[in-house]
Amino acid sequence: MADTLHVTRQVVLVGVGAIPGAWLRLRVVNHFEPVVPRKHWGTFAVNLVAAFGLGLVLGLNSSAPSDPASGSHGLTLLIATGFFGSLSTFSTFAVELLNCLRAQQWKEATVLAVGSILGGLMLAAAGYALGVA
Amino acid sequence: MLSTPSRALRHELQELLLVAVGAVPGALCRWQLGVHLADKDLIANVVGALVLGLLAGLPARPRRQLLVGIGFCGSLTTFSSWMVNCVAMIAMGQWLSAFGLLGLTLGFGVGGAALGFGVGRALRPHTPPI
Repeated sequence: MADTLHVTRQVVLVGVGAIPGAWLRLRVVNHFEPVVPRKHWGTFAVNLVAAFGLGLVLGLNSSAPSDPASGSHGLTLLIATGFFGSLSTFSTFAVELLNCLRAQQWKEATVLAVGSILGGLMLAAAGYALGVA
Repeated sequence: MLSTPSRALRHELQELLLVAVGAVPGALCRWQLGVHLADKDLIANVVGALVLGLLAGLPARPRRQLLVGIGFCGSLTTFSSWMVNCVAMIAMGQWLSAFGLLGLTLGFGVGGAALGFGVGRALRPHTPPI
């Protein structure tokens, strides 16, 4: 019984975090679509913000008693797995990259891929460093 | 006078509901895959990219796009954990693992999206000429 309650609590935490993450992503992507000619910069923006946010939360949490990587910590499930995991997305990034490649926009594809990955790595590292400090 | 804002509001709520109904199982699947496979979200990201590629190849359906595309696939896949996992590997001096995770996720992700797109295009119903 206690185990069922524990699992239910974990499921609810991930789900409750995921909903605002997905809504915010929908809003930002919808907002960018008419503003800039290339809509993939909306996904680019949420992904970089989420990489920084996730790094920050894991950094802040690194001194917590339970191991953040194990995913057993309640706040980690809600904010890291649920919210930031859902706010950021890989599938849209992959499809937008594919669209650039199909349109033979090599420069655009390179800028999107390299910019997302380098920017994401640097912001995740910066967020983590800020959280630990 | 009253019907216009309420219709817009209803449309907005329907959009949010579709995305939320897709996002919750997406995030739960990602979490459980991570717990059981410990594959750094590789499977979740590749499967999500494949399914989203499939949707992109099929004729556009706004509701399906909100529920399955933005909701489910968007939440099943994650960019932030991918980056954080790579940073953690680099911080531990595991450069090969970090480049491996970067390359495998990117390669199989875009490859999966291309495969899904091709299947979607092949499954596209033929519209009879008018």
